[in-house]
Order: sequence, then C-alpha cells, then structure tokens
Amino acid sequence: MKNREVDQTITDALALPRLVRLSENLFAASFVLMKLLPARFILDRARDAALIGRGSTIIETTSGTFGLALAMISALRGYNLILVSDPAIDDALKRRLEDLGCRVEIVREPAPVGGYQRARLNRMAELQAEFPDHFWPSQYDNPHNPGAYAPLAELLLEAIGHIDVLVGTVGSGGSMCGTGEYLRTVHPDLKLFGVDTPGSVLFGQPDRKRMLRGLGNSLMPQNLDHSVFDEVHWVAAAEAFRATRLLHQRHALFQGGTSGAAYMVGDWCARRNPDEKVVLILPDEGYRYQDTIYDDEWLHSQDLWLPDPPREPHLVDHPHEAGDRWTRLQWERRSYEQVIGGSFIPAQQSSSFLAGSPSAGD
Amino acid sequence: MVSRQQVYSSSAALQAAPRVEFGYANAHHGEIFQGVLADSGGRLRRGLVSLVCDVMTSEAIFQPDDTGIVSVDPVWKTKARRAVELTLEYLGQREVGGRLVIESTIPPRWGMGSSTSDVTAAIRAACGEIKLSPHIVAALAVQAETASDSLMFGNRAVLFAHREGVIIEDFGGALPPLEVVGFNTDPTGSGVDTLSYTPARYGWREIEAFRPLVGLMRQAVQMQSPHLAGRVATASSRINQRYLPKPHFDKIERLAEDTGALGVQVAHSGTIAGLLFDPGDPSTPERAETAKTMLDELRFTTWQFQSREL
Repeated sequence: MKNREVDQTITDALALPRLVRLSENLFAASFVLMKLLPARFILDRARDAALIGRGSTIIETTSGTFGLALAMISALRGYNLILVSDPAIDDALKRRLEDLGCRVEIVREPAPVGGYQRARLNRMAELQAEFPDHFWPSQYDNPHNPGAYAPLAELLLEAIGHIDVLVGTVGSGGSMCGTGEYLRTVHPDLKLFGVDTPGSVLFGQPDRKRMLRGLGNSLMPQNLDHSVFDEVHWVAAAEAFRATRLLHQRHALFQGGTSGAAYMVGDWCARRNPDEKVVLILPDEGYRYQDTIYDDEWLHSQDLWLPDPPREPHLVDHPHEAGDRWTRLQWERRSYEQVIGGSFIPAQQSSSFLAGSPSAGD
Repeated sequence: MVSRQQVYSSSAALQAAPRVEFGYANAHHGEIFQGVLADSGGRLRRGLVSLVCDVMTSEAIFQPDDTGIVSVDPVWKTKARRAVELTLEYLGQREVGGRLVIESTIPPRWGMGSSTSDVTAAIRAACGEIKLSPHIVAALAVQAETASDSLMFGNRAVLFAHREGVIIEDFGGALPPLEVVGFNTDPTGSGVDTLSYTPARYGWREIEAFRPLVGLMRQAVQMQSPHLAGRVATASSRINQRYLPKPHFDKIERLAEDTGALGVQVAHSGTIAGLLFDPGDPSTPERAETAKTMLDELRFTTWQFQSREL
C-alpha cells in the first residue's frame, strides 16, 4: 500500500481529479484543470524524444484551459510559450497566462469560413514560419492527447472497479476517447455518452455561434473517434448553466459550464439506470465563471436564465433534427458517415489510438 | 543485493542442523498480469503477478556435509545447485557442501515456473530451520537464475519485478479466490525457453494501457473479486498476443464467453492458459465441466485447481 507522497510540482499535484459520490450509482471525477493531463503527457513525450528542452519555443492555439495547462508547465520547465487566441479569451485568464511568462497573441477578425478558430490557425502558421524550431502540441490531432488519460482510467478502476457508463463533454475528443478506450481494455461493454452543444460540428450539426464554451468545435479534430460513442447529447448554454448551478447547490461542487452540461446528462443517465455505475467527468473549476454562470443578473441580461432545468432530453434520429435544446441521439458506436449519411464527409477519422502499431515509438 | 551480515549471528546455531533438509515450492500457472510500469521516479520496470498452482510441486532434499562442494541430481539442474551455493554463502556457511536432489512434477518450458520452483525449493532446503523472508529468497533466486517468478510469496498478490527480484507493489492481500481450468495451448510444441526469449518491446500505448490494469488489480484484491481479476487477466493476455501469441486464442476467448468464464489468463512466457471461474458461484462446477469437455473436443488435455491462501 502506498504512503502519501509529496508532489514534485503543482501540475503533478493537480493532474488527477477528486472522486466524489453524488448518488448511489453516480460518481464525479472532479478536476481543477483536466487539461493538465494531456498538456503534461504531450510535453513529456516531446521532451523524451528530445524535441524540446529548456528555452524551446512552443506555439499553440487555444482560448481555454489547455493553454493554461501548457503555461503552467512551461513556467516550471523554462519553455517559451506563445498562445494564439481570440477576443473570447477573458481578461483574467489572459493576465494569468502572461504572469506565467506566456506571450498571448489575439486575432481580431474571424475567418469567413471556420470563424475565429480558422483565423487562429492562420496566425499560428505565420508564427510557425517565424519560429522554425518551435514545437506544436496540437491537441486536436496529437495521439498523445487521448493517450494521456491512462492515469485517470487507473484511478477510476482502482477506486470504483466496475464501471458501466462514462459521461463527459467532447471538444478535442481526447478525454472521452482516451479514457473510454483505456477503460474498455478491461470493460469492453462500457458505454460512452458524449456531451456536445448545438452549433458544434463534432457530431454532425452545422457550425454556428455557440454560447457554451469549452466543449464542441467548429472544426473536426482528428482525435475524435466517433465510433467509440454509444450515445451523443447536445446541451444548450442556458441548460448547462442551470445544471452548473444545481451541481453547486445540491453537491457544493463549484465547477465550470462544461461540468454542468456533463452533470445534466450524467444525473439523468444515473436516474434512468439505477443498476449501472455512472462516472461523470467534470473538467474544470468555477472561478473563471463567477461573473457569468454564477451571476443571476448576467444570466438574465444574456437571456440565458432558466428557472427550471429540463428533466428529459429530446430523442432524435439525426443530428439535423436537434434544436437549440437538450437532445440525444443513440449513436451506437457508428462512424460519422454511417450516422450522417449525406454528402459532407469530414477529414478521415483516426481509428482507435490503442489499436496503433504496438511497438511504434510515436 | 543480499547482505550476509544480518544472519551471521545465527549461523553458529546452524552447525547443529539436522543432516537432511527438505524444501518445497509450488508451480505457478502463468500470470494474471505481466507488463511494464513507470515507478514514481519515471523509470520503466517490468513486472508480473503470478497465479500460484499447487497441483504441481518441486521438492528439494539437501544432505549437508563439510566438503564445501554442492552436487545436484539430476545434474542438469544447475540453477538449483547455484541457488544452494548462494544461500550457503548468504548464511555465512562457505564450509558447508552437500548433495541436493530435486524431484519435480512441473513440466519445463510451459511457463509454469519449473525453474523458479526448483530454485525456491532448493533455497528452502539449504537454509534448514532458518526461515528466510520471501524478499531474501526472491533476491537469491534472481541471482541464481537471472529472472524469477514470485512463487516465494505464495498466494499474496504482489507486482514482482521478475528481472530484479524485488516487489514493485504489494497489493495488500491474497489474490482473489479463483477456480482455474488449465490446459496447454501448444501440446505438440517444444514450449518456451524463458531466458532465451527476448522480452517484449512494448510501445507507449501499451505501457500506458498497463496502468488501468494495475488500477483494477488493486480493486480486485481489495474486494477479493474473482470477476475483476478475470478482467485484468483477459486484458493482459490480449496484449501479450502481440508478443508471444497463443495458438487458437480467439477460440479460447469464445469458449470462455460460452462457458461463462470470468476471464482468460496465460503464461506470458510459456504455452499454458487458464479459464477463470468464481469458486463461490454455485454454477461454477457445471461451467468448469462444460469448459473441460469443450477443450477436450479441441484436443487439449485439461486440469483444474483452486487458487487460495497458501
């Protein structure tokens, strides 16, 4: 049995979540900053392959928590980090990143197709030309992103043992595809419920402006393997914010908006299947959202105030039938093409990252 | 690796040891888990969790004399002779020699730990009435035979670094109780020479994938759950298929499913395999019989044993 140990860095100390039992069969994996896991694993592998060392330049595009995780590790290890973001980044986060020594580049105009995300990638390309020896963590297509979640699977199995359903939000595909695949090495029947938001292209909806950040995407990431999901839910901003507050009010768990979206789906799933153990991934804390999700006046002013959360999702057969409300689709481990039919085929999907060449050193 | 200092004081008492000493060791039945893990310093270490099997044993008889020379019968069991020499040296009894006889019912090269069993029995015989801790026995065994299994720890669930002879992690209890239907997957083959077999070169995906297996192993031991131990065994066996594939593994997995087995375990450097059942489940005797009948039809000779606190 292990003794308690002193962590070498705060990024090690915070990398794993606290496990909290929310009901008889619902367990929350509550992170301070989930993206520390992939950021650390990606940078560790790059360091081991001698791609980076003290003084190296790292460039990434992000307006969220992945950037914060990279900035924390870069400050500790002496990497020069440049983050390309857009005006959606909040000032407090920007100041925190800069305090960690990170250079934050803001693109001011969205691209005509692909929006700010495309504009950020364009600015990235310019910076990459400017710093030819840079390292790009590339969370959307680096297999070390889903590959980083073995310690989470280890913790869940050690503490809970048998798990029937894993519920979590999807942005890059890393946490759900990675954790899901690691858990399925021992529990092949584990069901994966992915949580997305209306207006995200991840599971076949047309791209449009989204109020709920931190999940969903305007571009299709290579790290998203659609065929691992049993069910997909779309949760609208107002619903997710209401659920975020409920999670706080009922369980005193002070988490962000993506956690609320996951909680709404996980709580429903656990109530519907009382004999199944449901695990819920809560990706980050609530401090960044104190002036928004946790402020009733702000919610009213944005027309995002919802007095009562919905009890049940609306069931659809095709992503295009989903409206701007909580909706679910029984994905049944199909490929994107199988579900969407139609003509729009996204970039070729990577298959299971665990099925990759066993001895490949990538 | 092993210090002799700590037992010098008791060596005088040993001079009056009886003239014939016996030592026993069980076989094992391959592993519940074998893989590579990063320790807290980030260093990768190979480790395994053995499944002890008391159906087959090795017995050592040692007649000490004052020649200072150890002989062994059969003469080719040189690792067992070396183990006795190392043990006597450890005990500070360089002047002691003797005749070592090994009688073993464990088939070699099947991955049942025949060599470690001989070596462990020999060490136990050589130290007579002195009881060495399993940690010391393990260190001596690895010195004698390069890589050892964790037989000396009995049924205690330990993650054992088989090339270093040390415990990476003690799971804090016995392996969960398991009813095992065993068989040799390659009865006509010549088996596997453990030492000449090149250790698996795992990729990063597999090295990471071993973590959740160890996580589940901890829960399996804590809950004494045959069900969860079966899950670990099957996953470890599947990964091993990429390195030392067992013939007909697909069939074996299907057979496990058809008979309601909890999992499939294999000898990761051998040819035997086992279907795992819950000894506490009233349907197990019937399921095990069905499994044996089906394995007979595939021309596998079967045996059955229960893993329990030894």
